[in-house]
Amino acid sequence: MIPLPTFDETPIAALRNIDFSYDDGTVALQGVTLDIWRGEHIALVGGNGSGKTTLAKHLNGLLRPSRGRVLVKGKDTAKQSVAALSRTVGYAFQNPDHQLFCPTVAEEVLFGPKNLGFAEAEAVEKAGRALKMLSIDHLKDKAPLSLSLGDRRRVSVASVIAMDPEVLVLDEPSTGLDAREAAELMRALDGLNKDGKTVILITHEMRLVAEHSERVVVMAHGQVSLDCRTRVAFSEPETLRQSGVIPPVAVQLAQRLLEFDVSPEVLTVDELAEEVARVRGART
Amino acid sequence: MNALRMRDVSVRYPDADRDSLEGVTLDIAKGEWALLLGANGAGKSTLCMLMNGLIPHVIKCSMRGQVEVFGKDVASHSVATLSTKVGIVFQEPENQLFCMSAEEEVAFGPENLAVDREEIAARVEWALETVGLKGFNDRPPASLSGGQKQRLAIAAALSMRPDMLVLDEPAYALDPIGRLELYSLLADLKKKHNMTVLVVERDAEEAASFADRIVLMSEGRVVRTGSPKEVLADPSVLRSIGIPPPQLSEFGEALYARVGAPKVEGITLEEVVGEISAMLRAGRGPG
Amino acid sequence: MTGFVDLYSEGDTFLHRIDARVKIIAVLLLSVLAFLLSSVYPLTLLLTFIFILLFLARATLSRTWFALRFVIRFMVLIVVLWPIFDPSGTPVWATFGPVKITEPAVWRGITSAVRVGCLACVWYILMFTTSQRDLVRALVKMGLRFDFGLALAISLRFLPTFSATIDSIKDAERARGMELDKGGLLKRSKNYVAVLVPTIVSALRSADTLSLALHSRAYGARADRTYLREPKMRPKDAVALSIVIAILVVPVFFKYALGVPL
Repeated sequence: MIPLPTFDETPIAALRNIDFSYDDGTVALQGVTLDIWRGEHIALVGGNGSGKTTLAKHLNGLLRPSRGRVLVKGKDTAKQSVAALSRTVGYAFQNPDHQLFCPTVAEEVLFGPKNLGFAEAEAVEKAGRALKMLSIDHLKDKAPLSLSLGDRRRVSVASVIAMDPEVLVLDEPSTGLDAREAAELMRALDGLNKDGKTVILITHEMRLVAEHSERVVVMAHGQVSLDCRTRVAFSEPETLRQSGVIPPVAVQLAQRLLEFDVSPEVLTVDELAEEVARVRGART
Repeated sequence: MNALRMRDVSVRYPDADRDSLEGVTLDIAKGEWALLLGANGAGKSTLCMLMNGLIPHVIKCSMRGQVEVFGKDVASHSVATLSTKVGIVFQEPENQLFCMSAEEEVAFGPENLAVDREEIAARVEWALETVGLKGFNDRPPASLSGGQKQRLAIAAALSMRPDMLVLDEPAYALDPIGRLELYSLLADLKKKHNMTVLVVERDAEEAASFADRIVLMSEGRVVRTGSPKEVLADPSVLRSIGIPPPQLSEFGEALYARVGAPKVEGITLEEVVGEISAMLRAGRGPG
Repeated sequence: MTGFVDLYSEGDTFLHRIDARVKIIAVLLLSVLAFLLSSVYPLTLLLTFIFILLFLARATLSRTWFALRFVIRFMVLIVVLWPIFDPSGTPVWATFGPVKITEPAVWRGITSAVRVGCLACVWYILMFTTSQRDLVRALVKMGLRFDFGLALAISLRFLPTFSATIDSIKDAERARGMELDKGGLLKRSKNYVAVLVPTIVSALRSADTLSLALHSRAYGARADRTYLREPKMRPKDAVALSIVIAILVVPVFFKYALGVPL
């Protein structure tokens, strides 16, 4: 595994040898150790039941490990409440309908910042910025529950962004969104990442991972099976397959054309087209 | 007789400011697999609910035009009658599975039709085995995985012995491997039982290569229909209705932009690998 | 204390194998018996009999402990409180200010406690050995309208789902900085709006899809309806039923016809 450059001395979040089992006895995580540095754009992937959501829920205290420690900004999360940790780690749930309850979008997006105790003016400013970032400013006065799924999801993500956390965890944020909405969402996340926010994406849309995440953590059966740069991760198809993950089609195609000197580190359609054109040119 | 015959169908919900379906004319042949693609709001779900008469009998809306499934006009046949011809599997299997055991779930439909008990038992066994859930009779639906729930929902529709299966965004909660398994199951049903299949999706990636025909919808209208090769040859059409083209299709487009002919025609990985390999080998040229 | 949404404990004891209808009737008859007996000794005998059945049901340890803990606590509470609130009778054993503890009151307390123990445990036996499925089927077979039976079955089936949904909603609101467990009663009640609204919306959405699914599977198409599995009475069920009837009839006969003080 290629070591990653550290952006900071202390990881912004760290899991040290975590074990976790659910009440009914299922072992969900085993000996997981992971460091997340400030400003990273990470994808957390794996088949259903691999433990990726379970792992992510440890970052903001929704779940507590039965063994090992979780550190956020160097401090153990064991004694901090979920609400307290939400100041640093924002979590957008897979089902936006589990969050929405306010009469208007504006109030919904203000809910988080108000809970964190921001002054009125500051809260409104943060909420406004979040709405604009996700292009839903025009929905400000509408009832969240009357909106389409794509809009509801954007409201839910906006309400987490408005809390201005340093780390953003998003659980399957592209589900239910069409191409344009998904692209806008990812654009917003990339923008936040450029501003220094740490973005953690839980997803099985490998295409999004290939196009946006610089680091991939692959989970299988409650353990980390692969943790490296995205380009490198996708050039290990066997490990991925065993973890229930299929690389995006562009990558699969590239891997079938290796005999023609096509680079195995291709990630996107454009890169592949470039490579094939190059190779073709080199042969004539 | 076609499986589906729609002529100039328009549907508008109460309080809506525009039609959800506008002048839709569409035919699906028996035994065909049609893939309906459209962004949110294109009218796909509305079209699905016409298939077994939920519209106009159960859902309040105004409907104009004619819809016939296997020769039966949906406006003049009850949902119960149509349900023996067309089975619908909605999004989110969780909310369609309401019995306490898989067996009850699958038996529910035929029980409602007062089918003979022995016949019901036979259908239950057949349906469960067909979807790969043999032996799951006593399992509570709540204990099944997402993919298994999906399959159980399909089995519950199959026990009505329909000639057509309609699935509204079945891949919604599945991961890519689960999606491939689902589509393979549908392909099997089509092959072995001549089942007409209508799959509605927002994403063409995995589904496109399984379909016989692709129907593109936007804002309540049918924009284009054709074979996958025809429709995917021009990715810009898909983009114009808000659907991300399959990556192979985009690749063909990107490559053409860089090197010109030949145009990549394949729509499956194998086909494209074959074409590109041939192209690169040929490019070696003499010396 | 973890509550149990479904008390059913899988097993293959003779109790599990008895027809659900017989068990329901048995529970009702034994409950009636518990009320008809007024003397503490026959009641204790009944309780012992019921306890034996409870253990023969071979429910899981956690379920049995859950049931017993609840019942025993309640019984102890009755034994302790009854004499405090019932000062009638002689001889008086002790006096604490206005409170008079008398011997007959203590016995009455014990008798009531044993009666409650019988009632509770007999229902636990039913719950432990009968799946929700079989219970609903039995009720429908005994005359409950199918629609009601279906509504009951659907409610039971969705209970764990809603429980999980509520947990997920609570998590989502906590993750937005809301402290659900702190604050005075008023503040906490307001906070629960954030949990209640999504729960209700989720329920309504599910109900919507569910209703379409029911229609699509021809629900209500005909007045008659076949059932894949019908509860069938077998000889051993008839035997069990007769034994239970006898258990009720014999003491009742002795008490009311022969005047034996039971």
